[in-house]
Amino acid sequence: MREIKTVTILGANGAMGSGSAGVIAAFGGAKVHMLARDVEKAKQGIEAAVASVKTDTIRARMIPGSYDADLEKAVAESDWVFELVAESYEVKEPINTRIAKARRPGTIVSTVSSGLSIGRLAKAYDEDGQKHYYGTHFFNPPYKMILCELVTHSGNDKKVTQALGEYLDKVLGRAVVYTNDTPAFAGNRIGFQLMNEVAHFAEKYADKGGIALLDEIMSGYTGRAMGPLATADFVGLDVHKAIVDNIYDNTKDEAHETFKLPGYFQKLIDAGKLGMKSGGGLTKVVKHADGKREKFVYNIKTGEYDPYPKFDIPFIKEARQKIKDSDYKGAMEVVKKASGVEADIARYFISRYISYSLSLVGEVVDTKENTDGAMGFGFNWVPASAFVDFLGGPKETIKLMEQSKIPVPKLLKDAKEGKKFYELGDKLDARSLFKG
Amino acid sequence: MSEKVFVLGGEQTDFQRNWTKEGKTFMSMMREVLDDALEKVGISYDEIKRLNKENRVAVFVGNFDAEQYANQGHLGAFLTEVNPALYGVPGARYEAACASGSVALDAAITHIRAEDYDLAIVLGVEVMKTVSSSVGGDFLGTAAYYDKEAKGVQFPFPKLFGKLADVILERYELKEERFMDALAEISRINYANAKRNPKAQTRTWFMNKEHAMARGGDNNMAVGGRLCITDCSQVTDGAAVTILASKDYTKEYAKKTGRKVDDIPRVKGWGHRVAPITFEAKKQESVGDKYILPWTRQTVKDAYKRADLDVKNIDVFETHDCFTSSEYAAISAFGISEPGKEHIAIEEGTIDFGGKKPINPSGGLIGVGHPVGASGVRMMLDLYKQVTNTAGDYQVKGAKNGLMLNIGGSATTNFVFILGK
Repeated sequence: MREIKTVTILGANGAMGSGSAGVIAAFGGAKVHMLARDVEKAKQGIEAAVASVKTDTIRARMIPGSYDADLEKAVAESDWVFELVAESYEVKEPINTRIAKARRPGTIVSTVSSGLSIGRLAKAYDEDGQKHYYGTHFFNPPYKMILCELVTHSGNDKKVTQALGEYLDKVLGRAVVYTNDTPAFAGNRIGFQLMNEVAHFAEKYADKGGIALLDEIMSGYTGRAMGPLATADFVGLDVHKAIVDNIYDNTKDEAHETFKLPGYFQKLIDAGKLGMKSGGGLTKVVKHADGKREKFVYNIKTGEYDPYPKFDIPFIKEARQKIKDSDYKGAMEVVKKASGVEADIARYFISRYISYSLSLVGEVVDTKENTDGAMGFGFNWVPASAFVDFLGGPKETIKLMEQSKIPVPKLLKDAKEGKKFYELGDKLDARSLFKG
Repeated sequence: MSEKVFVLGGEQTDFQRNWTKEGKTFMSMMREVLDDALEKVGISYDEIKRLNKENRVAVFVGNFDAEQYANQGHLGAFLTEVNPALYGVPGARYEAACASGSVALDAAITHIRAEDYDLAIVLGVEVMKTVSSSVGGDFLGTAAYYDKEAKGVQFPFPKLFGKLADVILERYELKEERFMDALAEISRINYANAKRNPKAQTRTWFMNKEHAMARGGDNNMAVGGRLCITDCSQVTDGAAVTILASKDYTKEYAKKTGRKVDDIPRVKGWGHRVAPITFEAKKQESVGDKYILPWTRQTVKDAYKRADLDVKNIDVFETHDCFTSSEYAAISAFGISEPGKEHIAIEEGTIDFGGKKPINPSGGLIGVGHPVGASGVRMMLDLYKQVTNTAGDYQVKGAKNGLMLNIGGSATTNFVFILGK
């Protein structure tokens, strides 16, 4: 296994930088150069790292520094340089030029980018540097979210990839998913497809309950702890836009049109209503004088915020009760048999999610276990393959897709009936991701 | 004895799950774990129906405190909710604090030895994340003498086992630094072992020796005298099932599943002793004895005698490390070291995963998690995995005989089982 004793973190004061540094210093026992714009910010990053993994033992081996004064020296003595600066070529490329000049042969350099081309970023390096350049896409917060998409590009060496993958897995405790250098990689490509298409449906059904209705239809019984639009509000509409725009501009697959940003998202972004981080977006919470909190939801038609409605949709209630009783197949039977527009929408998105996840095998990832891992460990969503089993197997799932006019991926057409389709069961109990 | 009761296998839930957060209950947990266990062992509900017609099957539910954690009693009857195939099957709940799983196992073993039943389903279950840790700590206080040892005390059990650490230190005149280092090593081993166990609560948590040694401060707070967070097992939600069978049924089962009876492990010995309930009484009683927990030692000796085995025959141990001090005391109780010299066995790596007498390859309560009523059943399941060479990444090479120690209260109810082929 690759020995990594010294690491340089660039962007040490950000949530991802400090959280990743905490994991590397704690699990990896590495000495970590914490670099930020100035030393004070780097020191704040160290404290955040300590707090994230809850161990004072790492403080002594974290060294604060600034890009201006310390980058070259820190990089020169590092086995791994992990760059977590702002998500743009304009910011990352000049830094890469500096790292490239200072790095020793054999040093791994990686970026946390969630969407930029790893191959393009690697171009700042010489041949040895390109061989050792990767995307290591950690998820936030790194200590709790153990997914790491290890993104390779054509210049990598398989042996180095394997050694780095082993280090990330065995030493840092990451659930490593290997992905190719494609826009947004695996997790975000699948996750944001669903979130964005749900957002379009919210607009289409704005009269029937819009945002709140769609999140109700796609709630815990469909295998996620948080509704897709609540998730978009949580990550920020600006971040959502950056991800879907990138995918829309750089891919041409069956779901291409679903990556178009809905107009009302842009409207909210233009008004500075970016989601929870800016005090409101798709939803907002108002604290009244008596201390009581009230939740509101954006009305796509009027542009106003309405009190967050409660729904009483019988099939959802019934499915939720089944999940509560750990009768997962029973819950899916309810969804399969229910009538009404809400049930049609639920079936459409379950089909779309499975279909799109499996369709990326071969392009974005080599095996379905990688897309399953990305969704299970990165988004806490029931992986597509596990869904196939809960729905009663490939045939039943294909039937559902055909009813919803969703393309049937080859992987599913070729699947054997009567055999478990989900193969990550020993690592991730998909049942735990359904919420009753 | 060793030709009477066989273990066919079982399953446990993922102890990392928080069922309350999932919107599920102890009931859903029972359903999942029993379905999984039967599937894994290869016994159908139809088979249970068949056996029930002849009154050959029974269920034994280990649970400590569903009344308080889940507002529900009468858990023995709840398997009927899992599947109608269990209508009419004799079933009851067994309780002995953290040894509830073992008292259920003991009842099942006894019934099979008495030839009352041919198949016994033992299910340990505890849902604990329904309340805050301080409220849960108070509930757990009822496993001690509540009025005298727990009432008004925040987290009573760390304090009781902290007292055990004090007595060990004083009685054996150990150097404090060396003793605390040994306790930290126990913690390190359990967490490290748990990383190999895909069902362990702490498998993604950070812990190493350096952190275990750094006691005090916000990140490793003192909770019971010398004992800090890293010295404690942590409560969790969880359930485990082991399925026991008579020799007659095991023969039928072996034939049906293409296995050999000789490859199916059997319960070779058991021990069950109850020490005085208060820790102070235990301490007074043990003055002058080589062992600080003489009844724990006696329980182990009883099991060895019944199995006609000794420590030299045991390849793997699962012990009740509710706290590092309880695992420390267990080392001499097992006979791995002389009392007072446990630290030497720890320092020499004897109890480590690759050592001569590995303890808790699963991760133990510290690593796997401690859903109290399920822990004894989980230990038996882990012994089964070890002696059938099916423990996966945490398999101890060539394990033939395993011993488990499960205790309730402050080492009050002691249960030991030996499993082997």
